[in-house]
Amino acid sequence: MSKVTYTDLNFINGLKHNDDVVLRALYKKYYNLVLKYVVNNSGNSESAADIYQETLIVLYENVQKPSFELNCQLQTYIYSIAKNLWLKQLRKNGNIIRFKDDDENEVVDVTDEISDHYKKDSDIQKMNESLEELGEPCKTILKDFYVYKLNMEQISEKFGYTNSDNAKTQKYKCLQRLKRRFFED
Amino acid sequence: MRATDLFDNYLFGTLTEQDKLEVESRLKNEVEFAIAFEKHRVLIEGLNQHEQHVNIKQIFSTIHQQSFGKDAKIISIKESFAKKHGKLVAVAASVAVIAVLSTFTILSAGGYLLKQQRNDITDLKRDVTELKYSQEAIIGGISSAKTNRLKKYAPANIEGTGFAINNKGYFITSLHMVKNADSVFVTNSLLERVSAKLVAVDNCLDIAIFKLDQVDAISMKQYPFSFNNHQSEIGDKVFTIGYPRKDIVYGEGALSSLSGYNNDTTMFQISIPVNPGNSGGPLIDEKGNVIGMIRGKLSNAEGTGFAIKSDLLKQIIDSVKDETVKAELVLNTKKSTLKGLKRSEQIKRMEPFVFNIMVYKK
Repeated sequence: MSKVTYTDLNFINGLKHNDDVVLRALYKKYYNLVLKYVVNNSGNSESAADIYQETLIVLYENVQKPSFELNCQLQTYIYSIAKNLWLKQLRKNGNIIRFKDDDENEVVDVTDEISDHYKKDSDIQKMNESLEELGEPCKTILKDFYVYKLNMEQISEKFGYTNSDNAKTQKYKCLQRLKRRFFED
Repeated sequence: MRATDLFDNYLFGTLTEQDKLEVESRLKNEVEFAIAFEKHRVLIEGLNQHEQHVNIKQIFSTIHQQSFGKDAKIISIKESFAKKHGKLVAVAASVAVIAVLSTFTILSAGGYLLKQQRNDITDLKRDVTELKYSQEAIIGGISSAKTNRLKKYAPANIEGTGFAINNKGYFITSLHMVKNADSVFVTNSLLERVSAKLVAVDNCLDIAIFKLDQVDAISMKQYPFSFNNHQSEIGDKVFTIGYPRKDIVYGEGALSSLSGYNNDTTMFQISIPVNPGNSGGPLIDEKGNVIGMIRGKLSNAEGTGFAIKSDLLKQIIDSVKDETVKAELVLNTKKSTLKGLKRSEQIKRMEPFVFNIMVYKK
């Protein structure tokens, strides 16, 4: 099996297009970098994995933006995001202990990325709660229609409605309920 | 057409040109219509983002499981032993694969008989089924957060201590604790729960060498101990840390004798109060040298503990047949990085390398 080397640009494009092979290679490439940082600063392997995955999600969110531009090495960008997220978490838990910030790696300013991420994360959290309250089959019907663009005939068949008008009525009710939950304070 | 259908069709781009223009004009001129549309749009976008988020999270977590994840299923030592490590096993006093672990009757070259000692020396494994209730009562009052984390897993049959002999994933523990084990897991401040496989045993010395199945986290840490081959003397201050309960516990004392029970020269006698669960813990001197491994205590006298001398570890390592494993079983003989540090700081650096061992039996 030949070993493929990816450039930063390959990784960015892989993220943009959800390319499984590239995502896998990306994941493996920088895991140890983040693991090392977290375990040497009061974390364990489990918290390192959580932070690393959140870091890649921040990266993922950012590369989807049309304005995204990588102004440093991908490694530096990833390290900076991970460090930021981990420090936030340590502060949140109120336990900055045994902190060894020797910064052998370069860091860049990712304040905007992080604050965008937290805002987006709270929106997603809110949507998640609303969808959980809503339950099935509403959750799947709405996702099928609005995300996966199934038409009413397909939805009607999938959920066993007698005709597509019934499915449509059901979808309408589901959407109204979601709207009420999502926009209520 | 309902307003939502109109919005959907507008967003999906399935309206006729005329209807589309009408929607756009209403968006400009009717405030309520525009607000309703905006809510609809935000909601649909939220749905899409949510789904995208769930999916990418799932992708990363799958990659992690496949590339770095711990094996969640319980691995049988017997099986993996026979299959993978069968030929790696070193048993100093000849004989034995795991079946022999259930007996303690082998006479070693050193001339001591473990069978005789058994009645007098208490093994310090922590038999969880027996101690469970009192343990939980103690723990419940002290640290609920940590125990909650640990409660996710089935309680082990036996628990005790073990410690890393380098940062390549190898650790040692008391053989009496892991005999007849079906599987062994370790946990501590660094490792959530990692399975381990048996690499070598010595029946006479009561030592088992294991390797962690996940070595990434520990390999990132600097190994704190030294196996510096220096002369220990009676009266030297020594200490140990271990898991007599779910939280790590420190104990200190002095080296009382350079031989163990019945003049057994493979052991030290120590004046550290040791409890069930301390078995397998490191015995460390002031300079950060590992001089032994806690073995047991005298049943009829309090405050008399025994530790196997760490010098003998080399003997077991030497007898390992598999060259790749042997090459990884390197002991640090440079000065310990703990030297000169405050005790509390020493313990912080040691903690990631001392494990709570959980033994499961069939």
